[in-house]
Formats: sequence, C-alpha cells, structure tokens
Amino acid sequence: MLSYTLRTLTRMALTFFVIITIVFFATRLSGNAVDFVVGEGITSEDRALLIKYYELDQPLFTQYLAFLKSFTDGQFGLSFIERRPVSQIVVERLWPSAQLLLSAMGLTLLVSLPLGIAAALWRKSWIGSAVMVVAFLGYAVPNFVMAIVMVLVFSYWLNWLPVVGNGTPWHFIMPTIAMAGVLIAALTRFTRNAMLDVLGQDFMRTARAKGLPESRVILKHGLRNAGITILSVIGLQVAGLAAAGSVVIESIFAWPGIGDLLVSSALRRDYPVLQFGVVTVALAVIVINAAVDLAYAWADPRLRHSVTA
Amino acid sequence: MLRLLLSTALAAGFATGLAAQELTVGAANVSSYLDPGRDHSNVGSQFYYNTFDTLIDKTHDTLGAEWQPALATEWHLVEPKVMELKLREGVLFQNGEPMTADDVVFSLNRMYQATFPPYVVRSRDRLDNFEKAEKVDDLTVRITVKREEPLWETLLNLQQVMIIPEEYTKGLTGDPKVAEDDDFEAFSLAPVGTGPYRVAEFVPGERLVWERFDGFWGDKAPLAKVTVQQIPETASRVTALKTGEADIITNIAPDQLGLIESDPKLTAVGSATPLFHVMIMNVNHPKLRDPRIRQAMSLAIDRDTLNEALWFGKAVVPDSHTYKEFGELYMPELKTFEYNPEKARALLKEAGYDGFEITYDTHPTYYTNGMLAAQAITEMWKEVGINGRVNIVEKWSGGSPEMMARNWSNPMYFADPFGSFGVMWAPHGPSEGEGRFNTDEAYAKVWERFRYSKDAEARKAAYAELQERIKQDPPFLVLYRPYESWAMNKSVTWAPKPGHIPYVLDFRAGSISLASN
Repeated sequence: MLSYTLRTLTRMALTFFVIITIVFFATRLSGNAVDFVVGEGITSEDRALLIKYYELDQPLFTQYLAFLKSFTDGQFGLSFIERRPVSQIVVERLWPSAQLLLSAMGLTLLVSLPLGIAAALWRKSWIGSAVMVVAFLGYAVPNFVMAIVMVLVFSYWLNWLPVVGNGTPWHFIMPTIAMAGVLIAALTRFTRNAMLDVLGQDFMRTARAKGLPESRVILKHGLRNAGITILSVIGLQVAGLAAAGSVVIESIFAWPGIGDLLVSSALRRDYPVLQFGVVTVALAVIVINAAVDLAYAWADPRLRHSVTA
Repeated sequence: MLRLLLSTALAAGFATGLAAQELTVGAANVSSYLDPGRDHSNVGSQFYYNTFDTLIDKTHDTLGAEWQPALATEWHLVEPKVMELKLREGVLFQNGEPMTADDVVFSLNRMYQATFPPYVVRSRDRLDNFEKAEKVDDLTVRITVKREEPLWETLLNLQQVMIIPEEYTKGLTGDPKVAEDDDFEAFSLAPVGTGPYRVAEFVPGERLVWERFDGFWGDKAPLAKVTVQQIPETASRVTALKTGEADIITNIAPDQLGLIESDPKLTAVGSATPLFHVMIMNVNHPKLRDPRIRQAMSLAIDRDTLNEALWFGKAVVPDSHTYKEFGELYMPELKTFEYNPEKARALLKEAGYDGFEITYDTHPTYYTNGMLAAQAITEMWKEVGINGRVNIVEKWSGGSPEMMARNWSNPMYFADPFGSFGVMWAPHGPSEGEGRFNTDEAYAKVWERFRYSKDAEARKAAYAELQERIKQDPPFLVLYRPYESWAMNKSVTWAPKPGHIPYVLDFRAGSISLASN
C-alpha cells in the first residue's frame, strides 16, 4: 500500500508540474494582458509607465521563472486588476464552489444509486425501461440548457426560485440540479450495469443460499462489489464537473465561485488570477483522482495485493 | 401548496426589503477597485458619487452646470493663477475622522503632483494645468495653476479630485507617515469618503454594499442600505428583477425593453448617454493616407438608418462632436459629419481607390450593438464601392499600425468640449500617442485657444476650427449617442439625471424614493 501511495503521489507531482507549465503559456496565447490592464486610448508614454508598474515589461521566460518561484515561496503574485494576492482572491471563491459541488454530489448519490439498483433489479419491467429512458435524456441535455430552462420556468414564469448568488438555501436548488443532471444520468446507468454484472455472480447465489435477507444480499454483497466500478466513474465525473460544469453553471447563476472567477479573469486577462485559479482547480482534480485511486485500492483488495506483490 | 410554501419562503428569504428602505441593484458590472482618482471607466462612474464629495458640486437636474458649494463653501481667485477655497466646517469622513485642510491638500496633490502611475495617467490627460494645492489654515486651501484656467469649477468638480482622508490612506500599508503606492492600492479596496453612503462591504467584481452614513454633512441619504450585485448575464438580470431579487437593474439593451414593458409591475427609464460611439480611422495607415478615402468611408455611412435599425430611433445622431451638456459651448450648428453616398463615390474615384480591402475592427460584445453596427457599416461601404470586411478582435487594436478602422467610444468625462474631444484628440493626446492621428503646430495653436481662452466665444470659434480640421482630414466619425436603459420595480422612483457624467447611480437625497409598502 505504501509503494502504491508513493507512486500515486509522484504521478500527482509530475502532472502538477506539466499543468502549471501549460497554464502559464496557454493563458498568454489568448492575448496580451497589456491591452486589457492598461486600457485603451492613452499616450505611449503613459502606456510605458503602466506596463512597468504592472511588471508586464519582463521577458516571457523571466515571468515564467517568477511564476515557478511563486510556488516555492508561497507568494502567488498580485492580481493585475485588483492588486491583492491572488491566493486571497481564489480562496474566497473556493468554499462557494465546494458547497455547490458537494450538494450536486450528494444529490447525485441520493438519486442515482437507488435508481440504478432499481433499474437493474427490475430490468425487464417498465420500471427499468423508464429509468433508462430518463437517464438517456438526462445525459443528452447539456447542463447549461437545463439551467436556462429551469430559470425560465421556475424564476421567470413562476417566480418561485431565486437566480442570483448563493444567499439562501433556495439559491442552491437550480444550480445543484443543473450540475447534478448529467452526473445523475451517467451514474444511474453505470450503477445499473455494474449491478447487472454482479447480480449473476456465484457469490450472490451463495449469499442467498446462506439465507440472508434480499436487502442485505443486494446492499452488502451486490453494491459493495459493484461499488468498485461506480467509484471510478464518480472520480472521473466529479473531476469533469469541478473543472467544466462549474464554469458554465456559476456564470449563469452569478454564483460567487471559482468557475465564475475563471471566466471573469479570462475576459480581463488577469493572468495571475487565471493561472492560480486553473492551478487550484487542477490540483482539486488531481487530489480527487488520487483519493479515488486510493479508495479504489481500499475497496478492491485484489488491486492492493497485486501492487504490493 | 408547494407554490404557497415557496412564495412564503421567497418573501422571507430573498425578496428585498423595500419597506426597510433597502434597495438591491443588479448591475452588469461591479468594479474591481473603487478609487475615484485613478478611475474613469463607465463601470466605476456608477459608484463614486454616493460615497465621495468634491470641493465644488453642481446641480444635476438640468443640462448645463450651476455650481454649488460642497466641501468648499466659497471660492475666489486671489491671483490670476491662484484660487482660494474656504472649507466647510464639521465635515466627517465615514471612518469618523474630521475632514481638514490637510486631507484636501493631500487628495488634490495626489493627482496634481502624482507619483502613483495610475494617478499620473489620469492627471496628465485632464489636470495637467494644475500645479499644487497648499494649506493656508485649517479651513482654507489655495490651488495654483500653471496657466490661467478658464475651467476652474469644472476641473474641481471632477471625480478624480474627490476628497479622501490622508491619515487613513497613508496608514493602510507600510509607513503610516508616507503615501506609498501600496496605500493607494489598499485604499481602492477599502475606500472612505465624506459622502452620504459609506462602503460597508466591497467584493471586487462581485458586490458592493452601501450603508447610510449618519454623519454626512448634507441631507441624509434616503436609503438605509443598498446592495449592488454583479449579474453579468442580461437574461439573469431581467429575471432577477422579475423575481424581486433586484429592485433596479442596469444596462438593458433596446431589444430587451419589451420584456420590461410587458410586465405591469416593472418600468424602464433611459436616456441617450453622454458618450459617443465613434468609428476611428488610422490616418497613418499606408493605404488610408489620402484623406479623400477616409472622407468617403465616413460619407458612406447612413447613421440615421443605423439608429433606426439598432436603437429603434432612440439614439442621438449629432452633426459634430458636441453635446447638449456643454451649455453655452454646445454647437449644433457645426456640420462636421454628413451622409452623402454620391460624394463618397466621387471622392473614391478622384483618389483612385482600386478596391483594396478595408478592415473594420470590433470586439464581439464590448459595445452594445457594436458588432451589428460593424456589419451594417461594411454593407453601407459596399454600396459606394468600398471593399470592407468586419474583423473581430478580442483586444484593443487602436494602437496597432495595421488597424485601418474600428469602433471606439468617446465618453464625456466632464461637461465641456475639453472633457470629451479635448481629452481624446488633444495634441500628443491618446489618439496621436497611439499613432493613428497627427497634429501639427497649427492644430496645437488652435487647440491652445480652445483650451485656455477665457472668453466662451473665442473657445467656440477655436473649436469650430478644430472640427473643420477633423472634417477635412478625418481621423474619426461620431456614430451616435447610444441609448442606455435601467429597469426597475414600479415602487422605485429613480431616473438618471441629465447633469451627471454617464452611468452615475445617484442615490442621494432627492434623487431616489421608494413607495412605502
């Protein structure tokens, strides 16, 4: 287990280095910050003055070295626009995003596990078919479409739900559903398939033969074994959701999270914020994946033993 | 039942408390910093008037200025180049400190003798003539200019010279006795002024919360609390207004006004903003050096049709770079711009135009209707034989030698021709500095007369000469004054006042009221 953990950590570190390098150069491909930070319609003399003030006069490679250094000394630089530490700006946005992600995850598990199990158990009845049709539709509708339709129906027409920010529990309803929609659809299908795989296994028959109640057979023996497949899907999906889903959903609902911050800093070419924001999201994805890897090893003794062997 | 539950929860949870004299504004943009000195953006202009005061204020209900005492109660010239101002007694900053002559001198000199680069830039383009401010006694200051100044009151009414507390600002970072760059950076995140609303919370680019400042020297603020929430998506802004999450929303495009007008609970107000959308043309582009080509590019554009099609006729199409707000310096008689496709064709023929491509740069979304106008303009060019192409660019291209034509805006930074044309098209100003406009000694001489003559007629005559130069060798065409709208719940009585610079959200006494419900 120790060597498996070490290998996972090394891979994480390497991935992280590659990501920060790509982030640094990719952000600069999208346009010159000078034009955004300094603004339009000023004299060349004033322009030079501001370029120097914002330290945009350094060669690219020097900026890259300074950027790498910022990770070692914990000083991640100042925002071009707000002139305060980017770590401060990004940290302010982490908790709202985490709240939204956690509530979307909670909703997903709450809905898709029972649905997936039901669809597997009653696969030949109308229940199984209905669940699969709904899951298929859910997978086909992009989250931003779902968000806008919900805003139209529940806010614009019915006036039931708020659309802006994260002030009250009511604010969570639409963004959570919009974020969880695709995930619920995906996880329901995977749960169903994984359950179908294990339902016919010998150990299930043995469990029943031992006289265990059916609920215990399904939940302890069935779900525990199907869980390994489900876990890997959750890891991938959550990572995707944290990175991409939040950007779209947070913009629509003016949710003060990291996705909204990434969009606004990209539009303003606030590189320091954009870089640190992307790196933070990347780090979150890496950590989630690593956690899933470790959980995977924990859940599947075969993997644990094959690695240490 | 669900509906009942939700409605009750809404009323309790997020509907705004009009009865408590609280207001929520859904704004398309909230600034990233709040410092009136360094800022001249349309986003920032919304906010400063509620929190800060100038030495001299003006009436805002009508066009043209009537100067009013504010932090200064009286002022007069003691020498041709020195003005003495008596300060109001008993003024408090929102942090409780009294305002003194030291604060005034500090605030003015941070601009007049600027060292902080963002101040230097703003100071050079409009306050260049101001040398220094000095304290005479605790309630008297003197301001010295380099040349006799015809625009004293105008330039003491600028947002850039609003008064801020010296001790508080210097104490924000580093040495509390010295004004460092970092102090001004810190100030712009935690601003303090003498106005009727104090900034209670500021999350850059996201939210600004004002609370009534009970120690304000003038009429008390009518609202106890105002929350300005950034809602960048127009559809979300309109929805927030309909759900009651916002009481006022900003920046409604003309084609969305129907959504507001169809709802009996809502209303919209608007005005032609004192800001020009302009088309700039690069006089130094090798293919556009012949003024006849640029004249033709300008003459080919039917601005009235643009107004009808894009602004439903609500924009204002002027004949010259002149605003009604200029008062006695408003010059509608100038005919700098016209639509004349026949003349455009003739000029192109005369200039030997061979059909080379002329690009028109535009950002995809920055200017309302900017992209549609660009497409219409290139079509109008086609009508006279100009081979135009819309070039979508994400960044400002006005400083690029390859730029041929593009859209831009010329806001009225203050109500004088110097506050709009004078900032943008001055000798060695931003347009010349970016290499797309040239001036010579003759232009500079006329400009001097326009800027410094003490007689309004002399200034008008010089301004007419400058506009004639623009007509003969055009570096730009004014397209129109765009129409800007705000929408609100009918329980709110508010409208933009004509005496303000663009976009000011004036919530002072007498400017806004809420129906009690």
